[in-house]
Amino acid sequence: MRVGGYAAIRDYAAIGDGRTLALVGVDGSIDWLCLPDLDSASVCAALLDAERGGSFQLAPEVPFTTERRYVPDTNVLESTFVTDDGVVRVTDAMLLPSHGLAPVRELVRRVQGLAGCVPLAWRVEPRFGYGAGRTRLGWRGGVPVASSGRDALAVCAWGAGESRLDEVSISGRVSLAEGTSALLVVSAAHQEPLVFPSRGEVEARLDATLHFWTHWAALRTYEGPWREAVIRSALALKLLRYSPSGAIAAAGTTSLPEEAGGERNWDYRFCWIRDSAFTLDALMQLGCPGEAESFFWWLLHASQLTRPRLQVLYRLDGGDEAPERELDLNGYRSSRPVRVGNGAAHQQQLDIYGDLMQTAWLYAEAGGGIDRETGRRLAGMADHICAIWREPDCGIWEVRGEPLHFTHSKMMCWVALDRAVRLAEAGRLPRGRLAGWREEARTIHDFVERRCWSDELSTYVRSAGSTELDASLLLGALMAFPSDRDPQMTRTVDAVRKELGDGVLLDRYRGGDSLRGEEGAFLCCSFWLVDALARTGRLDEASDAMRELIGLANDVGLYAEEVDRESGEFLGNFPQGLVHLALINAAISMNRAERG
Amino acid sequence: MNVWGAVAGGFVGTLVLTTTLRGASELGLTRMDLPFLLGTAFSADRSRAKAIGYLAHFLAGEMFAFVYFGVFAAIGRSGWWLGALFGLLHGLVSSSALINEVLPSIHPRMGTPLSAADSNPLLEPPGFLALNYGHSTPLVTLLAHVAYGTIVGGFVSLAS
Repeated sequence: MRVGGYAAIRDYAAIGDGRTLALVGVDGSIDWLCLPDLDSASVCAALLDAERGGSFQLAPEVPFTTERRYVPDTNVLESTFVTDDGVVRVTDAMLLPSHGLAPVRELVRRVQGLAGCVPLAWRVEPRFGYGAGRTRLGWRGGVPVASSGRDALAVCAWGAGESRLDEVSISGRVSLAEGTSALLVVSAAHQEPLVFPSRGEVEARLDATLHFWTHWAALRTYEGPWREAVIRSALALKLLRYSPSGAIAAAGTTSLPEEAGGERNWDYRFCWIRDSAFTLDALMQLGCPGEAESFFWWLLHASQLTRPRLQVLYRLDGGDEAPERELDLNGYRSSRPVRVGNGAAHQQQLDIYGDLMQTAWLYAEAGGGIDRETGRRLAGMADHICAIWREPDCGIWEVRGEPLHFTHSKMMCWVALDRAVRLAEAGRLPRGRLAGWREEARTIHDFVERRCWSDELSTYVRSAGSTELDASLLLGALMAFPSDRDPQMTRTVDAVRKELGDGVLLDRYRGGDSLRGEEGAFLCCSFWLVDALARTGRLDEASDAMRELIGLANDVGLYAEEVDRESGEFLGNFPQGLVHLALINAAISMNRAERG
Repeated sequence: MNVWGAVAGGFVGTLVLTTTLRGASELGLTRMDLPFLLGTAFSADRSRAKAIGYLAHFLAGEMFAFVYFGVFAAIGRSGWWLGALFGLLHGLVSSSALINEVLPSIHPRMGTPLSAADSNPLLEPPGFLALNYGHSTPLVTLLAHVAYGTIVGGFVSLAS
């Protein structure tokens, strides 16, 4: 099941509380947990270093098979371990604060004996600070505690056998008979004393957490095709949402490789402006006005510091610094380096201005208020685009080589000015520069038509003067770029599918990008293809592709960034927000198309 | 030393403090906007929140000026330099406790480090020394408060 101590990425399920998340392996090991927040340093990182990363293992001591699922419409995981001796069920959750004095963060593992008598072992091996922090273990009032500097965690156990402490771990063993149960809780503290919860309070908070998730899922208004996958994706997004600020992380992990053993390992625990329009659209279509409002306010606030320039990404707390550094960890299946921070933060990407302006336009269209100061700032960004769109950039894929005149970037510059014009016409932005924006939008449009189209290939191409294709061209159809050459974008969609596709799977591009190694098929591109097919009226093809893509999810309905074409293994960070956003938006487009 | 000096100093000091923060924001040094933070406690409408926030901020400025005046009166001394010292202390307490700890816990639209999946705050928490609002925020906030204190101290001593 594990190779060199590492499980397959698709063997993980995510649990979370809107502040951080944990990844639980199919064999019961929690191999990823950052505390107190999603973008904090890890306490469990066996995912990135099986020997030194730290984990929380809980499994039968005899051979077993696992059946698992999320409790329907929740982010609470149920893993059923079936052995020759009997059956036990483990319920994993990160609890929301409610009844009683709740810890800063609280992870619970409830074990129930369902049949026979199953011998179980558990072992918490915390490694603070991505495995680099000095961890001290000891007893505090009869409770085993691990601490490192300003962070600490307690392991509270009820009915789980006697807790034992050694130099590196807290562990226990118990045989669980049918009808009995045990409870294990990790209570975490950050810059404050630890809370030792009572069993009754933990049980009450677990019930309340289950109730919250089912209630939240029941309020989602989407009733179209693929509803189950859409709701699971919405729940996955909720796991990636950092509730204290409203930002949504691109993924829950760092440095899961795009190629096993390769160097394409990045930290995705930031919020990308690129995803903003997809995010707001999905949240509003799903009936999440609170989350949409919160996200938009965060976006305005975070982008204020760098205005009129936008950064590619911002920290979840709204900060603009994301210095990239490498950690002394072995990496997932020896995929080094392991990076935290992201050097792409300060790249020039022109497309993000189109994404932000599209987001503002969607927000205003839905009745959201844009006050005078916000309107002035957005107008400043439109002016900024007029000044910089002629420059080459790194493009949506954050290519670390020579900047180019990427077609998608120019299309999105046109989107930025088009939406600015629409907002100004609606009285949401100052009208003083309206004529200038219109004129510049026409010039950008002309550039795309003249320089980014290939008569020979009958399609838009990756960059001005190029003969290569790029999956980001599909976004021209999704953003309604008004093409003169390819009015429905059907030829471009077909060309991308033919040149970059292998069945339903797509490469991002086939040209070089100055990095060594290969990468898998990008799943968001496949969902964009479904979306584009639906928007161009080819519903049957869209449905077939969607069916195939839904089948590529793991056993609990989650996706990583990429999939290996040969083995079907997941690659890249997990779970990945953009893939789930693209799934939701593709389903919504299909629903709209079906309803005419 | 009389109370009218505190009233005038509170008004001018708040004006300078607000302008300093606003100027720093325009220069891209910070996202700190005290009137906005205060006003959004009363309204989710951004324009209305700003208007309410400015009013609340000036009231708070006057209130703190009275506190300064009370301390000046208690120790029997005042002056711009003593005001600057009070301003420094005021700035430190504001960024480390008032804005970071107290405001998120009472502000109905602000997240806290404890906000979980069941909440949708509209404002991110400031963090320690309000660093979430930009890494120059502590310096700008302290300077603005020192300016405020200097003005209050100066006005109180001038009105003697």
